[in-house]
Amino acid sequence: MSRALSRRVVIVTGATRGIGRATAVRLAADGARVVATGRDAIAGEETVRLIDEADGSCVFASHDVTVEADWERVMDIAKDLGGLYGLVNNAGMFMIRPIADTTEEDFDAMVAVNVEGAFLGIKHAFRAFETDKRAGVIVNVSSLMGLVGFAEATAYCATKGAITGMTRAAALDGAAMDPKVRVNTLHPGVIWTEMITSQFGDSDALAAAFAADTPLRMVGRPEHMADAVAFLISDESSFMTGAELTVDGGRGAD
Amino acid sequence: MPEATTPEVSEDQPPELAGRCALISGANQGAGLAIAHAFVRAGASVVMTGHHLESGEAAAREVAAAGGPAMFVLADHGSDADWMAAVAATEQAYGGLDILVANAGVYAMARTADLSLLDFRDVCRTNLKGPFLGLKHATAAIRRGGAGGSIIMMGSVVANIGAVDHLHYIASKSGMAMLAKAAALELGPENIRVNTIHPGFIDTEAAARFSPERAVATPLGRAVRPEEIAAAALFLASDRSIFMTGAEIVVDGGWTAR
Repeated sequence: MSRALSRRVVIVTGATRGIGRATAVRLAADGARVVATGRDAIAGEETVRLIDEADGSCVFASHDVTVEADWERVMDIAKDLGGLYGLVNNAGMFMIRPIADTTEEDFDAMVAVNVEGAFLGIKHAFRAFETDKRAGVIVNVSSLMGLVGFAEATAYCATKGAITGMTRAAALDGAAMDPKVRVNTLHPGVIWTEMITSQFGDSDALAAAFAADTPLRMVGRPEHMADAVAFLISDESSFMTGAELTVDGGRGAD
Repeated sequence: MPEATTPEVSEDQPPELAGRCALISGANQGAGLAIAHAFVRAGASVVMTGHHLESGEAAAREVAAAGGPAMFVLADHGSDADWMAAVAATEQAYGGLDILVANAGVYAMARTADLSLLDFRDVCRTNLKGPFLGLKHATAAIRRGGAGGSIIMMGSVVANIGAVDHLHYIASKSGMAMLAKAAALELGPENIRVNTIHPGFIDTEAAARFSPERAVATPLGRAVRPEEIAAAALFLASDRSIFMTGAEIVVDGGWTAR
């Protein structure tokens, strides 16, 4: 087992499935003590089991990222494990819906999870880093759709654009802290997860269609994202802050 | 579809926004008020919204006195019902809606670790949800007109660059910029154009914070004048920008290029 993150405590939100779970598994394999969070305790415990099986360290915390009290509780868990080192703001909500059909409630729900949730994470991680005087790291999971527009995804693009900008703001805030805190974004392209299959359908034909539409002619997997997050969380990216790491098989360049 | 025209002033040609109806949010003062003046001079009818009745009505009287037609509608720019009412008032008063300038916004700064969720939500409500609601209801009205239209979002230079102690403001403005791009893709086939203006520090009372240090750091050496934002808005509203959508115009005296 690599010890790149030896015993460092990293919170991964939305670690009950998809990119979050793969990231939790990967960071644990790199030696991190992972706090896997999410709303689905059964799925969260499955993430813990996968990590246990590989002799990694992981605890699950029930967590609604829109609730500030939940963040305070999750930060306490990280503190008890030795103090927060990293946060992966991964939890997110996806929605494909034309402008005319997007209600105020839809928009509010998207902003609450994708924008307010990420903000609360940044805020409480900053507080923990300040208290502990630790040079921490934050990775915010935005999207390719936080860099380029996508028809019938206006609300989603708005929230992911907000995360992209918020990361630049937080990067400058973090750079002014002592010790310094790094904040970067990951921009996944189309990644084969429940978030995609729940909106577009789950079939080999669809996966093949996405692959055919991607310059690298492959389907993006959660593990590809986990590799990128592991890089951004590790010391290998120690000169990176306020940066945007796009991992999309070339889709955004096309 | 009209041909792109040059902004030449001609006695023979009608002004470039003749017969068009525009809704401008946050038009009590500053850039919004300057945009209302510019649009009216270009022949448009304007509905100006704001959340302060007296200054809003005074602003509309001022624009009307300079050549109108202009009217004021009181609005909370984070309210779905108020946006719907403002769009309806525009259609009722002037027979349609061709142009929206989602200009209303709040400026805020705070230390991130001390920023309350309520303050964060407040800024995003006015600066992010508000423009979305405006876009949604304006789009419906522009569709009813059937001739396409132009939607202009008022972003900020910090939509594309960071700034210390501005997390919520930047979240809202960078979110708005992506909102505009996504909407541009969806609405392009209907000839509804969506573009964003990113002003630098504007020379108004609201931005009295413009310090000598910032002036020195700005390549053009001064703050942006509201009339200069209005010129960009008029360009994007007019047929001179007929092939532009999903674009961003930065009017910042060179600040972003540093």
